Amino acid sequence: MTGFELTATALPLFAPVEITLDALSKAALYIVIASGLSLIFGLMGVLNFAHGSLTMLGAYLGGAVMVALVSSATGQGMRLLLFFVAVAVVFAALTAFGAGVERVLIRPIYDREPLFQILLTFGLVLVLDEAATIVVQLAGLQPQTEWQDAIGTAPEFLAARYDIIGTSTRGLYLFEALVGLLVVTAIFLFLTRTRYGLYIRAGSEDPEMTQALGIDIRQAFTVVFGVGSGLAGLAGVMLMWDPRFGASVPLGVETLLVGFIVVIIGGLGSFKGTVVAGVLVGFVDAVMSWLFINYIDFPGLPELVMFLVLVTVLVARPQGLFGVEEVGGH
Amino acid sequence: MSLLEVEDIHSYYGESHILQGISLEVEPGECVALIGRNGVGKTTTLRSILQLTPPREGTVRYRGEDVTGRPTHEVARMGVGWVPEERRMFSHLTVDENIRIATPPGNSVEAAFERAYSAFPELESHRGREAGDLSGGQQQMVAIARGLVGDNDLLLVDEPSEGLAPQIVAAVAEALKTVAEESTVLLVEQNFPLAMDVADRFYLLDHGTVVESGSTENVTRDDEMIRRYLSA
Repeated sequence: MTGFELTATALPLFAPVEITLDALSKAALYIVIASGLSLIFGLMGVLNFAHGSLTMLGAYLGGAVMVALVSSATGQGMRLLLFFVAVAVVFAALTAFGAGVERVLIRPIYDREPLFQILLTFGLVLVLDEAATIVVQLAGLQPQTEWQDAIGTAPEFLAARYDIIGTSTRGLYLFEALVGLLVVTAIFLFLTRTRYGLYIRAGSEDPEMTQALGIDIRQAFTVVFGVGSGLAGLAGVMLMWDPRFGASVPLGVETLLVGFIVVIIGGLGSFKGTVVAGVLVGFVDAVMSWLFINYIDFPGLPELVMFLVLVTVLVARPQGLFGVEEVGGH
Repeated sequence: MSLLEVEDIHSYYGESHILQGISLEVEPGECVALIGRNGVGKTTTLRSILQLTPPREGTVRYRGEDVTGRPTHEVARMGVGWVPEERRMFSHLTVDENIRIATPPGNSVEAAFERAYSAFPELESHRGREAGDLSGGQQQMVAIARGLVGDNDLLLVDEPSEGLAPQIVAAVAEALKTVAEESTVLLVEQNFPLAMDVADRFYLLDHGTVVESGSTENVTRDDEMIRRYLSA
């Protein structure tokens, strides 16, 4: 009894601020990872297994931009500016790549069963991951562990820790939460304020009716697959500085898993659902990680509980929190 | 030249041979009704004209141009509007957004709102609501309004009175008459008196073919031919 009391007084009983900050940064990352997946499935009904691999490519490409240009950056503020250069480069490159993949590989099999699309995008995972391994090894980088050179390009004020309401947290986590908020706002404005966003929301609900109103839904498919891929890459750029993730080949599988969890809990095809589920999963992850570090010596705890939440949602509400019964189609 | 010429089209759902050689013509300014029992191919005819269910044989000509096998959005942009069965609202979009999406790029959205809400004043107070929350009659008005604002010369209207309360049907019939005065209409309607009231001519379909056609004047439900093909 005395021993228990000793540990109990030595450890914090609960740390709401620390957990909230951790949760918000994770939520931001998860939402950005899942948003492209969600947009693509919502409009096209295609489950893109290669989404995580695109995030992995984004992390490497973003890291490469940073490592190549960092020596020209005078001062820490310039490094932050370079981050947005990397975002622009990666987003443009992966949007173009995604649009090409849709046109060349996916378009010919829209009329087939969903299994064909799953097999095709899964095949793409193998090709992209293997190609990345080869290139990364030829370049003399790691394929498995985080790419430290890229992590090292983060400005000092992001790598440093700050005291916020009695808790110490990395500047980077706050930055991630901020970038996540920007991305969510941008996607939301795109969907609700632009003509193309209107096409996407309408096409997600009823592609046939949308076509009958004179809208070229195939073109919308190409745009959305491109933008969704660009968002996957953007998530990679957000992860390249984060020591919890970092650029590595297995990053693809890691992020794909969490992307699927978020998208399925939120409801396939609902962007609002993706945002809400991202926050939920971020908090579950943060609370469970905190319990693991302080009390429960089981490293798989966060993932285990995330999957339990997933299973509970699927049993109670199979279409997800905000999902509609039927989405996508050609 | 007819606005629409459908010539001997054969359409399938999978292996089911639904349209077995339908031919019909619609002249500019006419309102033509397709009548017949459930499952004889009326809706499929409209879908085949729009190339949503492209015919495997035969041709669809619009303004003299062969549109068979063209993508649906191209046919729609040529001026063919669709007011589909069960209304097909974008239920999560607002009424305004449903109108906006039906407005061709380059056209004034404000003018489209003006057109839609002057045709259906009842909708004006619901502009900001999600279309899925409206009553069946109001949804039908939105569906017709979408067809109106789309710069369409031909409207394909499918079962506009289906599932509506009798007093609402009267309002929809009035709306249809107004639409038919401004635009050419090809109408599928189970409600026989309503179809005969609105349309100038009719085609009677059975088993995927046209069995009878003519003017709607003086046609009554008691005609031997009509009775034979409409009674279940």
